[in-house]
Amino acid sequence: MKVVIAGAGEVGTHLARMLSSEDHDIVLIDDSPEKLFKINGDVDLMTVAGSAHSFQDLKQTGLAKADLFIAVTPSEERNVLACSMASYLGVARTIARINNSEYLMPRYRAKLNNLGIHELIYPESLAAKEIVASIKQTGTRQLIEFSNGKLLLMGIKVREDAPILNKPFEQLQLEDEQIMVVAINREGRTIIPNGSDYLINGDIVFFVTTRMEQQRVFELTAKKPFEVKNIMFLGGSRIAQKAIEKLGDQYRIKVVEESIEKCEQVAGKYGNALVINGDCRNLKLLKDEGLEKMDAVVATTGNSETNILGCHLAKTLGVRRTIAEVENLAFMGLAENMNIGSIVNKKLIAASYIYRFTLNAAISKVKCLTASDAEVFEFIVKADAKITQKPIKDLGFPDEAKIGGIIRGEEGYIAGGNTQIKEGDKVVVFTLPSGIKKLEKFFK
Amino acid sequence: MNFKIIFRVLGFLLFVEGVAMLLALFISLLYQGYDSTAFIISSGINLSLGGTIILLTRKVRPDIGRHEGYIIVSLVWVVFSLFGCLPYIISGAIPDFTNAFFETISGFTTTGSSVLTDIESLPHGILFWRSISQWLGGMGIIVLSLAILPVFGIGGMQLFMAEVPGPTPDRISPRIRQTAKTLWGIYLIFTVAEILLLWVAGMGVFDAVCHSFTTMATGGFSTRQASIAHWSSPAIQYIIIVFMILAGTNFTLSFMAIKGRFARVIKDEEFKYYILFILIFTAVIFIGLLVSSHLKVEQAFRDSLFQVVSIITTTGFATADYLTWKPVLYMLIFSLFFFGGSAGSTGGGIKIMRIVLLLKNSYYELRRMVHPQAIIPVKFNNTSVDSKIITNVLAFFMFYFAIFAASSVIFSIIEPDMESAMGAVATSLGNIGPGLGNVGPSETFVHIKPIGKWFLSFLMLLGRLELFTVLVLFSPSFWRE
Repeated sequence: MKVVIAGAGEVGTHLARMLSSEDHDIVLIDDSPEKLFKINGDVDLMTVAGSAHSFQDLKQTGLAKADLFIAVTPSEERNVLACSMASYLGVARTIARINNSEYLMPRYRAKLNNLGIHELIYPESLAAKEIVASIKQTGTRQLIEFSNGKLLLMGIKVREDAPILNKPFEQLQLEDEQIMVVAINREGRTIIPNGSDYLINGDIVFFVTTRMEQQRVFELTAKKPFEVKNIMFLGGSRIAQKAIEKLGDQYRIKVVEESIEKCEQVAGKYGNALVINGDCRNLKLLKDEGLEKMDAVVATTGNSETNILGCHLAKTLGVRRTIAEVENLAFMGLAENMNIGSIVNKKLIAASYIYRFTLNAAISKVKCLTASDAEVFEFIVKADAKITQKPIKDLGFPDEAKIGGIIRGEEGYIAGGNTQIKEGDKVVVFTLPSGIKKLEKFFK
Repeated sequence: MNFKIIFRVLGFLLFVEGVAMLLALFISLLYQGYDSTAFIISSGINLSLGGTIILLTRKVRPDIGRHEGYIIVSLVWVVFSLFGCLPYIISGAIPDFTNAFFETISGFTTTGSSVLTDIESLPHGILFWRSISQWLGGMGIIVLSLAILPVFGIGGMQLFMAEVPGPTPDRISPRIRQTAKTLWGIYLIFTVAEILLLWVAGMGVFDAVCHSFTTMATGGFSTRQASIAHWSSPAIQYIIIVFMILAGTNFTLSFMAIKGRFARVIKDEEFKYYILFILIFTAVIFIGLLVSSHLKVEQAFRDSLFQVVSIITTTGFATADYLTWKPVLYMLIFSLFFFGGSAGSTGGGIKIMRIVLLLKNSYYELRRMVHPQAIIPVKFNNTSVDSKIITNVLAFFMFYFAIFAASSVIFSIIEPDMESAMGAVATSLGNIGPGLGNVGPSETFVHIKPIGKWFLSFLMLLGRLELFTVLVLFSPSFWRE
C-alpha cells in the first residue's frame, strides 16, 4: 500500500516508522528539511520537503497513485485543507487529525466527506477516553473493552503479594478457564507467553477475561478496586478538559493550572470543577489543596517531566490512582519503572488508531498496549478466511502472536487450543510488531 | 555488532559474483578460449562458498544497523576483488597475485588502471570478465543486490546510504528496493542502447558489448591496448563521448528525461554546471591544440572533447596521449582529475555538486565579510542548502586533499618521480585510470612495485566509496560502542 503522510511530527514519524517496517511505501512531506533529514537516515521512505497544503508540493509526493493520505500536522485547518486537496488530486482515502470535537458529530460527517475528508482522528479525545477508563477501573494499568465489554483486556502490575506469582500458566488455565494471560511486560521487554511461562514480581501482565471473571483477576493479583470520588487534574490542557467533560458530575474534581486564561476557560466550561491557579510544581500549593486526600491524580500539563514528577509525588503521598500523560517517547520506559501508575501517550494512541486503515483484513479495533510494543487487534472473521479452517492449535499461528478470545453473538469466550473460529466471530489477537504481517493472511 | 548478518550478506554477494563468472564462462565457451576451466573453478568456488555461508546463517537476525552497513559495504569490495582475481590467476592471464588483485579492484571500483601490456593476446572470457567487473561495480554491487535479492529487509537502507553516499539524499521511489531496481533499469537500457549504436557504427559485437559495459560504468577498461584510439572512426568516438556524458549524469535526471520531464533536467543546476565545465575545458584545450599542433580542426575538437569528457566523468578512455600536449594543456587535464561526475552517477571523483557547493560557499564568504550581519544561505536548485551538508562537503574536501597530499608524499618514496606519484595517486583516488608521467594514457601500472599497487588499490576503494564509508572504520569512536 502506498501511504503519504503529511507532518513529520511525533505522530507522523511514529506512523511512518511503523508502516515502513511493514512493507508499505511511505512518502513523508513536511516543510522542515531538518526533521525530514533526521528520519531519512533511519527509515526506508521517501521524503518531500514542502507544504502540506500546496498543490505543487503534494503532487511531488505521487499522491495520485497513493491509497491513503494521512494529515497529522499540528494545525487542524491545515490537515483538513490538505485532505481535501489530496482527495482532489486522486488519493483513495484521507485521514485528518483534528482538535475540535464538533467535526466528529454525525450530522457534519457527510459534509466533511463531501469535502474529501474521509476519516477524522482526534488524539486528545482518544487520550481522554483512556484516562476516563482508567479512573473508572481502578486496580488496572490499562483496561480495554471489546464489543461493549463482552471481553475485557486488563493490564495489571503484579507485586510480591499476588497469589498468581510463579505459577505456570498451564496450571492457571485448568483452575480458571475464563482467564488468560496474553502478554507480559518484563523489564521493558514484551513477552508473548506460552504454557510453561510464569509471572514474577514486577511484571505488568495483560489478562483477557470476561466481565464475570473480572473479580477473580483482582483476587489473583491481590488488587482491591476502590471507588474514586476525588480527582485532581494537574494542568488544564485540552486532554484534561475532554476528560472532565466525559467524567460527568459524579466526581469532585480539582484542576491546578498555571495560565490564568486557561483557568478561566476551564472554570467557565465545567461547573463541577474547582479551578486553582498555580504552578503544578509548587508542592506546598498541591499539599494545601489536599493532594494526599485524592483518590486519583491525573497529570496532563504540556510537560512530560512535570507530569512524571507530579504523579511520583502523588504516589509517595499515598494517592492510589495516578495517570500521567507522557508525550516524550524516550521517557516512556523510564516512567514505567518509576512507579507512577498508568501512562497515556496520545501519539501512540493516535498511531494505533490510524494503523488499522492500512490493513486489508476487517478490523474493528486496534490498540497499543501501554508500556510495551505489542498491539491488540479485534478482527472480524470473514467467510473462508484461513483462520476458520482448523482449530486454533492446528493453525500454525505465529509465535509472536496469541489469540486471546472470541466474541460470538452476544457472548465472549476465552480461546483454547480446541476452539474453532467461525465466520462472523470477532477475534481478539495480541501481537508483537513483527507478527502483524503474518496475522493478516489468517484473516484475509 | 551483528557479525553474523555481515557474513550472511557477504555470502549472498559471493553467490552473485559466482553467477557473473558463469556469464564469463559462457563467453569463454562460445569463443573456445583456454580460460574456460579457470571460470569453471572460480565460479564453483564462489557459488559453493557463498551457498554454504547462506545455508549456515539462515537463522540470523536480519537487522543491519549503521555500523554493520559500513563494514559490509567496505568489506564487499575487498572480498569481491579477492575472489574476482581468481580467473586471472587460474587461467594464467595475470599469474601474479598482486597484479591480479590490482587489476580486479581497479575493475570493480571502475578506475580502469591496468597492469596488462598485451591485452589483445588475452582470451575473450578474461576480457569479458574485466568489462563485466566494471559494469557490476559501476552502479554498485550493493545496489544490484538490493534490486535482485530479497534478503536485506530494512537494513538495505543503511547499505544503500553507505554505498551511494552523495551530498544530499536522492530518491526515485519510496522503497529503496524500487529505487535500486529503477537505477539498474536505466543503467541496463543505456548499456543496450550503446551496444547497438557502437555495433551499427562498425565495432564488432564483442568489443561493442565490452566497451558499453565499461563506458556506462565510467570504468575505462578496453579490449585493445590502444584503448579507443584503436578505432579511428569519428562516429564510434562521438557515440562513446555521448554515453560517457550520460554515465556521468545523475541517474535520477536520466529517469526524469525518460519519463519526459525535460524541464526538470534542464533546470537542474548540477547538470548545467557539469555541461558548462565540459564546454569550457574543451574550448580552451581545443584552442590550445589548434595553436600548438598541426591537427585538423575536427580532429583537434574531437581529441579535446573526448579527453575532457573521459577524465571529468572519470572513465579514463583515451584517443590521444595528453602527455604529448603542451604542459599547460595537460595541467588543465590534470586539474580535471579533481572534478568527477555528477552526484548519483556512476562517475567517481569529488563530484560536480560538491565543487559547485564549495565554490558558491566560498564566494558567499566574501559577501559575508562585507555584510557581517547578513544571512546568506548557499542555494542549490533554488533551495537553501542545510549548513550540515555544507560542513559535510567541506570535510569531504579536506579529507580528499589531505589524503591526496599525504599519499603523494608516501608514494614518492615508492616511486622516484613526483609527477608520476601525484598522477598515480590522483587517478586512483578519483577512480579515473590513466595518470601522469610513467602512468600516462599510453603506459600501464605493471612496473609499479607491489607495495605501491596495494597502496593504490586502497586509494581506489577509498575513492569509490567516497571516503567516509571507509574512513569511518578507522575512527576509534566507530568501534567503541
